[in-house]
Amino acid sequence: MAHDDSLVASLEAKSDKLRNHCFTQFCTFEQGHAGGTMSIVDVVTALYLHHIKFDPENPDWPQRDRVVMSKAHCCEAIYAALVELGVFPEETLGTYYCYGSPFQGHADRWSTPGIDYSGGSLGQGLSFAAGMAYAEKLKMALRPPSAEETFLPRYIKRFDPLYRSYCILGDGELHEGQVWEAAMFASKYKLDNLVAIIDYNKWCLDGPTNDVMPVEPLAEKWKAFGWWVSEIDGHDMRQILDVLDLTNRLYGDNKPKCIIAHTVKGYGVSHWESRRMHLGRGEEMMKGVREGREKYGQVQ
Amino acid sequence: MAKFNEHIQLGEPVLPAKGIEKALQAGALKDQRIIALLEDMGFPGIDWWTENMPERMVEVGIAEQNGAVVAGALAAEGFIPVLYSFLFANVGRALNQVRQSILVDRFNVKIIGREGAWGEVGISHNTIEGVGFSRVLPNLIILNPADVVEAEKATEAMLQYHGPVLLRQESSPTPVRVFTDDYPFNIGKAYSVKDGTDATIIATGYMLTEAIAAAELLEDEGLDVGVLDMCTLKPLDDAAIIEAARRTGAIVTAENASIIGGLGEGVAAVLCENLPAPLVRVGIEDEFSQSGLITPERDDLKIHFGLRAEDLVVSVKVCIAKKERSRCRD
Repeated sequence: MAHDDSLVASLEAKSDKLRNHCFTQFCTFEQGHAGGTMSIVDVVTALYLHHIKFDPENPDWPQRDRVVMSKAHCCEAIYAALVELGVFPEETLGTYYCYGSPFQGHADRWSTPGIDYSGGSLGQGLSFAAGMAYAEKLKMALRPPSAEETFLPRYIKRFDPLYRSYCILGDGELHEGQVWEAAMFASKYKLDNLVAIIDYNKWCLDGPTNDVMPVEPLAEKWKAFGWWVSEIDGHDMRQILDVLDLTNRLYGDNKPKCIIAHTVKGYGVSHWESRRMHLGRGEEMMKGVREGREKYGQVQ
Repeated sequence: MAKFNEHIQLGEPVLPAKGIEKALQAGALKDQRIIALLEDMGFPGIDWWTENMPERMVEVGIAEQNGAVVAGALAAEGFIPVLYSFLFANVGRALNQVRQSILVDRFNVKIIGREGAWGEVGISHNTIEGVGFSRVLPNLIILNPADVVEAEKATEAMLQYHGPVLLRQESSPTPVRVFTDDYPFNIGKAYSVKDGTDATIIATGYMLTEAIAAAELLEDEGLDVGVLDMCTLKPLDDAAIIEAARRTGAIVTAENASIIGGLGEGVAAVLCENLPAPLVRVGIEDEFSQSGLITPERDDLKIHFGLRAEDLVVSVKVCIAKKERSRCRD
């Protein structure tokens, strides 16, 4: 099912707006995880502003799709989406990193409606997303069958899951052994309601991801663990939307889904792209913010 | 024969695991949210679960880090997962996972951690530091039952409490039954097994048996020593500790774990801040354990660590002597 051009164009514009929201947050203390945030903004836009089931009026809606930001240091992108959805007013962006703010330095489920997982300790998010996907299966199994199901056995009519579980991982995070424990778990329990999205921006803090500790061959690894795998350009909105739709349609194939999104660290801001900026501070940060504001500032 | 308080009736040795099994099964029958989360280390009453609740068993294999986080997620979705393994593994190995994915959000996860400081399994499994590394974690309740009745009541209370709880399940030797069936167990409340005037032994877990035996031995020598059962290691029952110090002026703590970070340190802090009193901490003094199955015939490890009733008798006398000395100075 092809997405029409106007949807793609409007989401691309929203992406730029989210970038602006991120710049506002970076300005609070002239600090932030600029590189990894910029690389995931497009995916976050597609997820939050189009793809997932999410009610901004009721962020705790039990049937919402779950989103686990496992690389939680890049939660600025999620905060930007929550502001764009109206869960928080725009002024909240200026409280990023502040005491008592719902926009904590790392995503915090207790402080922030709309956040499903308190991350920050890398490598744990996929286990959490898999656990929530498992819980969905369990809830469906334990509830009394509906009238519809008594007529139609499940193998004839394919039901939608109560909710889907999404997990955004960094590429460096894949160094953590626990990610692969979770990959085995998801495969064992046939969690076809689970989608892992890898922000493959190729850079860690110490250097290129594949120098720090090679993760390649990446797609083959996930396939070997029993996952369905697809590789996309993580900055091409149409590709992102298409692959997310595909994972929905594949529900019922008994396989967890892995989307490897090839991205660019610091995407959209040449100053950060050239430095593969991980955590930006002070003038390094502000130089990029000024460049970004100039480029995306006119977006409404 | 010493005079014990209400709800105490010493009986034959019974495995506390039986009490845990019973409470888990009763809980699971009543509450559909209770899930058995296995880490390839069995589960209390596993055959019953396999037969009656197979759909409510999740097996993550030998992957405790994943296990802890999956438990957090299941709790986030409204289930009550009971995570079972060795304490060194389900909390020790996965300490950061327990912290980040269970405790930070106070998820309603129950952890049963096997093995105290001794047992045949040896240095790797005998987790002398388990209480210490768990007590520093915010939002975690820690229970360490002393006999089969307390194990059942503590498990029941753990399932009813909304929030993360760690229940320590010690290994050998099988302790004698101490409590009657109508023993009123409360999380955070110590229970006075026997009142005394000369000193109080504050014991936790399997050391309660030794503490009671020590009090009886001391009675033969004309000393009236109280015994306080401290099942909840976090939060400690501060009021009961202060009351014991006020009444007897000499406190001996007894634990089958490292005295660093354990009951002894906790009691020391309460006393120092409220009512300083002479204190002797009995436990494992900064060393690792080793193999040594403890049976009525063999108690090498107990002798090694100085954790028999006879050793407690010496510590109580030392503590009373400290009390006398401090009175002389006054």
